[in-house]
Amino acid sequence: MSLKVDQTATAFTFKGGMLPMTVMELNSSDPERISAQLAGKLSQSPAFFQHTPVVLSVEKLDDTSLALERLCAVCRSHKLLPVAVRGGSEGIKQSAWALGLGWFPPQESRESRTLASVAPPPQPAAVVEASGSGGRIFRGTVRSGQQISAAEGDLVVVGAVNAGAEVLAAGSVHVYGPLRGRALAGIHGDRECGIFCHELHAELLSVAGNYKRLEDIDPSLLNTTVQVRLRDDQLSIEALV
Amino acid sequence: MARIIVVTSGKGGVGKTTSAAAIATGLALRGNKTVVIDFDVGLRNLDLIMGCERRVVYDLVNVIQGEAGLNQALIRDKRSDHLYILPASQTRDKDALTLEGVEQVLEKLAEDFDYIVCDSPAGIERGAQLAMYFADEAIVVTNPEVSSVRDSDRILGLLASKTRRAEQAQDPVVERLLITRYDPNRVDSGDMLNLEDIQEILAIKLIGLIPESEAVLRASNSGVPVTHDQDSDAGQAYSDTVARLLGDEKPLRFHQLQKKSFLSRIFGGGRR
Repeated sequence: MSLKVDQTATAFTFKGGMLPMTVMELNSSDPERISAQLAGKLSQSPAFFQHTPVVLSVEKLDDTSLALERLCAVCRSHKLLPVAVRGGSEGIKQSAWALGLGWFPPQESRESRTLASVAPPPQPAAVVEASGSGGRIFRGTVRSGQQISAAEGDLVVVGAVNAGAEVLAAGSVHVYGPLRGRALAGIHGDRECGIFCHELHAELLSVAGNYKRLEDIDPSLLNTTVQVRLRDDQLSIEALV
Repeated sequence: MARIIVVTSGKGGVGKTTSAAAIATGLALRGNKTVVIDFDVGLRNLDLIMGCERRVVYDLVNVIQGEAGLNQALIRDKRSDHLYILPASQTRDKDALTLEGVEQVLEKLAEDFDYIVCDSPAGIERGAQLAMYFADEAIVVTNPEVSSVRDSDRILGLLASKTRRAEQAQDPVVERLLITRYDPNRVDSGDMLNLEDIQEILAIKLIGLIPESEAVLRASNSGVPVTHDQDSDAGQAYSDTVARLLGDEKPLRFHQLQKKSFLSRIFGGGRR
């Protein structure tokens, strides 16, 4: 006899569950624009795009122009798995069901709790708060193959970040030493943060997905003290005097 | 209490086995009871460098798998009474090593020996991780070239996270840098990284600098560790390294460009 005790019991039970879910709040219905932005995000945090279930929120959109089927295809091609749609007209609801997706009514209160990586850039007021809380300080050398990250706030490294190492932060990255590895700031899309280092020799610099490689960096800035930030969607590297 | 020293590098061909043999020999020559273990199962070389390849009967894997006793596998060095070699198996692979087996062997050896030198295989996989896991000290062998420095950096990261001392939150493994195959001429011409650059990147204490030397290849091929060749620069440099390991202060040698004298330029006075 095998131990299949529950064979006689019910085949399943319904249980209430609260699962963390990423909401993709659409500001545009243009699949090209969405695809381009997703490609940027993908290069910035590939670990996030592993068939991650997302809810497409269309509340902010004028939905007459929305091609839901096309949008789902774009998401899937970037390894996001649309599971439901939130908000929109009766037409959107019907086409969501036709595509095998769930439908949620629009959110009542527009609270600003946006989830995870694909959230739109937070308002400047929220940025200050975020960078003030939950940061991380690492003392010592970050060695090749090591990855040090701050999921919230800033990351401060007191020491060197060697070639082949990676430092990431939701906020800014500060390196009090030579930066020879990869540094990624604003990994959740915060565009107001930056990278600061004593000696620039980074393999890669990225702020909110906008990146520069070592060979893109002006050689006169190498081995100097700099700050890196976004200016008009361009990564700007300036000497820190 | 025996000190367990792992000789490691990440990259292959930088001189781990040569250094392990030379340092173990130097420790034994100074009266310390020393055993050197080859962890490179499947690609064993230490026995050749130590000149005892014809005397291998049992090996580390035999001991771990209970097919032979530790004393049956230990080979006494011909030249030094204080030195023993525990060879690796050539016919097995690194999966034959187990963490518990290695721990038991090391515990047993620690009862009898002052120093246990573990010669790590290249890479960062199982063999290398087992060689470093129980270490108290690590000698990271690095050549003056970028790929070797980066691999050493990676190994230093593993030493700080994948060792017993790290996992049990004890004092960290003491990390020391040994630079080998250093050629001041090529450093001067910019072909090689210089000493200061390597030290700046790796940020650990330098324990020794071994110059590029013909004596090393000669020693390897004849199966006599280069420490015995005290006429050679490399032999002297390894002796200095061992002295520093034992706590002596020794000034660094062989890292500066030697001006060739007029006569040696004429007669081509070869480097030893």
